[in-house]
Amino acid sequence: MLLSPAERQYLYDSLVQNPPIRPDARNVFQCRPLEATTTFLPSSNGSARLRMTDGAECIVSVKSKVVKTADTPNLLEVDVDVQGYRDDSNFVATLKYNLSSLLHKNFPFEALKLTSRYSYKLFIDCIVMSNTSYPLTIISMAIYLALKTTKLPKLVSEVDDVNVEEQPTFSDDWEDAKTLGEATGSDFQPPVFITLGVIGSSLLFDPSLEEEQVLENGLIVSFYDGKAQTPLQNINLALNSNKNNYKGLKSTHIVSAISMVNKYCGMIIHALDTLIDQDEGDGQVF
Amino acid sequence: MPRLELYSPEGLRVDGRRWNELRRFECKINTHPNSSDGSSYVEQGNSKIICMVQGPMEPKLRSQMDVNKANIEVSISIAHFSTFHRKKRSKNEKRIVELKTAIENTFENSIISHLYPRTFIQINIQVLAQDGGLLAGMANAATLALIDAGIAMYDYVSCVSAGLYDQYPLLDLNTLEENDMSYLTIGVIGKSEKLALLMLENKMPLDKLEPVLGLAIAGGHRVRELMDEEVRSHGKHRSQRQ
Amino acid sequence: MDVSDVISISKPSIARTNVIDSDVEMSDTETNGAEQTSIVTPGELVTDDPVWMKGHGTYFLNDNIYSSVAGNVSRVNRLLSVIPLRGKYQPETGDHVVGRITEVGNKRWKVDIGAKQDAILMLGSVNLPGGVLRRKSESDELQMRNFLKEGDLLNAEVQSVFSNGSASLHTRSLKYGKLRNGIFLTVPSRLVVKSKNHTHKLSGDVSVILGINGFIWLSKTSTSNFTNNESNIAGNRVQSAIDGQGSYNPGVGSVSITRLEEESSWEIYSDKNEFIPTTVRDTITRYYNVIRALSYGELGITDQRITMGYQASLQYANVGKLVDKDAMEQICDDVITNEKMRGNL
Repeated sequence: MLLSPAERQYLYDSLVQNPPIRPDARNVFQCRPLEATTTFLPSSNGSARLRMTDGAECIVSVKSKVVKTADTPNLLEVDVDVQGYRDDSNFVATLKYNLSSLLHKNFPFEALKLTSRYSYKLFIDCIVMSNTSYPLTIISMAIYLALKTTKLPKLVSEVDDVNVEEQPTFSDDWEDAKTLGEATGSDFQPPVFITLGVIGSSLLFDPSLEEEQVLENGLIVSFYDGKAQTPLQNINLALNSNKNNYKGLKSTHIVSAISMVNKYCGMIIHALDTLIDQDEGDGQVF
Repeated sequence: MPRLELYSPEGLRVDGRRWNELRRFECKINTHPNSSDGSSYVEQGNSKIICMVQGPMEPKLRSQMDVNKANIEVSISIAHFSTFHRKKRSKNEKRIVELKTAIENTFENSIISHLYPRTFIQINIQVLAQDGGLLAGMANAATLALIDAGIAMYDYVSCVSAGLYDQYPLLDLNTLEENDMSYLTIGVIGKSEKLALLMLENKMPLDKLEPVLGLAIAGGHRVRELMDEEVRSHGKHRSQRQ
Repeated sequence: MDVSDVISISKPSIARTNVIDSDVEMSDTETNGAEQTSIVTPGELVTDDPVWMKGHGTYFLNDNIYSSVAGNVSRVNRLLSVIPLRGKYQPETGDHVVGRITEVGNKRWKVDIGAKQDAILMLGSVNLPGGVLRRKSESDELQMRNFLKEGDLLNAEVQSVFSNGSASLHTRSLKYGKLRNGIFLTVPSRLVVKSKNHTHKLSGDVSVILGINGFIWLSKTSTSNFTNNESNIAGNRVQSAIDGQGSYNPGVGSVSITRLEEESSWEIYSDKNEFIPTTVRDTITRYYNVIRALSYGELGITDQRITMGYQASLQYANVGKLVDKDAMEQICDDVITNEKMRGNL
C-alpha cells in the first residue's frame, strides 16, 4: 500500500503523540472487532472462520490422524495458504514457521497420546482468504478457536498395548468424542500471537494496514498459560513499502510489550472463549 | 467387499434420493462485501465453495490488457482438508488447471466482456469441502459472484452433473456415485436449453447421451431458480436500505 | 476494565433475518418507491416494446430488451437501463472525485478513482506554478514527479468520459489539487449522494471532501488561501500569493510570469502539512469513525448525516468505542430517528 507523503506525515505525527491518536481512535491496547464462527466443516475435527471489519479473513481446519508415536517426530503440522501468494514465498514461509514454532513450544502434547504405541497427529490448515494488515494475529486466533472446538473420537480399545499388538479402535458415537481440554483434564487454552506496532515510545496492539506503513518497528509476542511467552521477535509488519521510518528497537519496548501482553491478552482469550460458549454450532459458515 | 448398490431396485440412491432429485442446494450472495467486488457461497450437497470476484479493474500487468474486451482469469484453490482424507494439492495440478480453463472458457462467453475493454476480472474460487459436482459448484459460485459484482452477463450459467448407471440416468452425483459411473457436467444458459459448458471425461453410449443431457438440463433450470431466488431476495433487501 | 475495551468478538450478524419485519415497515413509509423495489436479474426480459432504447445494464436480442445485471429498472425519457445493486463507480462528466496517482507517464498521470479503469490526468489539465494561463513547457514534462507522483492524493473533476468508460480529469480550479493535512478513507461509491457541493466544512475546524467515487478526505480546515465553496480563481491567487511569501520550494526552474507568483503556486504541490493541533486530530478521528459507521449501516452519506452522526457519537466519550458493531448500529439508528423526527416536524 502506498500512501502520499502528506498522509504518512499526518499518520506519523498523530501516532507519535502521547497518547497516540490512532486513525480510528482505538486505545493502544485495543484490537479491531472480529466476527467468528466455529464447527462448520463436518469432515474436520475442528474448524473456525474469523473475519475483521476491514474484510481480512481466515479459515482454519483441524484434522486428526492416528499415527505410531515412534515413527512420527511431529504430532502437529501447520500449513498456511494465503490467497494471492505462492506457497513457497517468503511471506507464507515466515507465517508458517512462526505458527509452527508457537504451537510446538506451547502445546500439551500428552493430550494427543492414545496408547503406548499410538497417538493422534493434528493437521492444522489455515487459509487466509483476504489479508490487509499482517495476518499473523488473525490466523493464530482462528487456530485458537479451531483447536478449542476440536473433538477427537474416544478410544475404546486398551490403552496399554506394549505387549499386545493391536490397532486402536474408537467409539462410533460422536457424543463420546472429547475436546482437547477434556483430554488433558484441564482448561486447555491454545497459544496465540499478538502483533504490536512500535512507534516513538508507544506500542500499538493490532496495527491496521495504514498504521503499519509508518511504524518504526513491529513485535510479535506469544501468549500462553496466562502470560507472555516465546517465541517473541521483531518484524517489519509493512509489506512492499519503503522503510522510511524503520528504526531499531529499545529494550524498554520489549519490556513494556511483555507487560502489555500480560495485562491485556487475558481479555482476548476471555472474549474468544465467550464466543465459543455462545456459538450454538448450527454449522453455518456465513 | 460387496459392491455398493448405487441405485436400488426400489429406485433409491445411496443417500436416499430418487434418480431425478437434486441434493440440498444453498447459496448466498454478497458474503464478502468488504474484501471483494462480488462474492458468493454455494453448498451443493456436502460441497462448500466460496467465490470472490475482483474487478473489472485496471490490469496489474500490461500483458493482462486486451484493448477490445475484459481479460478474465480464474484461480482455483482447493483446501487440503476438503476431502475426507487430507491431501496436499498444488495449484498447478493438471486436474485443477483443466477445471480452471473450463470455467474461464465458460465465462469469457457469458460475460458481456466487450463492455469492459482494457480491464481485468479476477475470479477466485476456494473449495472448502468437496463431495462430487466440483466443477458445477464452482461455476455456480462464479455466476453468483459475478452477478453480485454487477458485471454484465447475458444470463445465468447454472451447472449440475448427471451420470449414467446401468441404463438409468442419475442427477447431481456425490463422490461415491461419481467414482463408479460415467458422468457429465453441464452449464445451462438461463431458461434456454443452450449449454455454456459441457464436460464429459469418460465414455457414455451415444444413445444414452440424450436422456442424461435432458435430465441435467432440467436440473440446471432448477438450480437457476434457486440462485435467482437468492439474488432477488438479496436485491430486495438491498434496495430497501438507502 | 472491561473485555470489550480490548476486543469485541461476535457471531456474524445474519442481515437477512430482518427482511421480513422491515418489509412491512417500508411498504408503509415508501409508497412512491414501488418501482424502486422491482428487481430484475440477468437474462430477464425487461420489455418487448420497441419504443425503448437500450441503456446500461441491458442488451438487445431479437427485438427484445433483456437485463444483463441484477438491479432496479430505470426509465428516463425513452432510455431504459438497469442500475446494478452493486458495482464499480462509473465516472460522469462533472463528478467531483478524489483519486490517487498510480503512474506517471508521458504528459499524463494515471489516477486510481475506484472505477473499472484508472483515469487520465493530462499535464495540460492541471494548474502549474507560474499562473493559470502560461503555456506548458518541456521542462514541465521533465519534472512531472515534482508536481504529482505515485501515491499522491488529489481531488479533481471529471472533465470527460471516453467511449470505453474511462475518465479524464482536470484540476484547473484552486478547489481541486493535491490533498494535505488529513486522512483518507473509502466507502462504497453508491453511498455518496450526488449534490451541488462535495466539499463541506464541519464543526471543529474539520473539512471533508466526499468524492462521488466513494473516496473521502477528512482534513483540518485550511487556514491559508481559499474558501472551499467558491472557486474564485483570481481572488484565490492573490490570497495564496500573500500566504506563500517568504517560502522557497525546490524544483523551480520553469518559465514564469513573476517570481513571486511562481513561488506561491508551488505551495499547491507541497507535501508538507500545516501544524495540526491535537484537538483537531481527535475530532478528525471521531468523524472518521462516524463515516465508517454510516457506511457500515449502508446509509447514504451527506454532510447533514455526518453532522447528525457526530452529534449521536458524543454519547460515547471514548471515541475508540465507535469501532464496535453495536456502537455503529446505534449511530445509524440515531441518525435515522433524527431524520424521521425532522421530517415529521
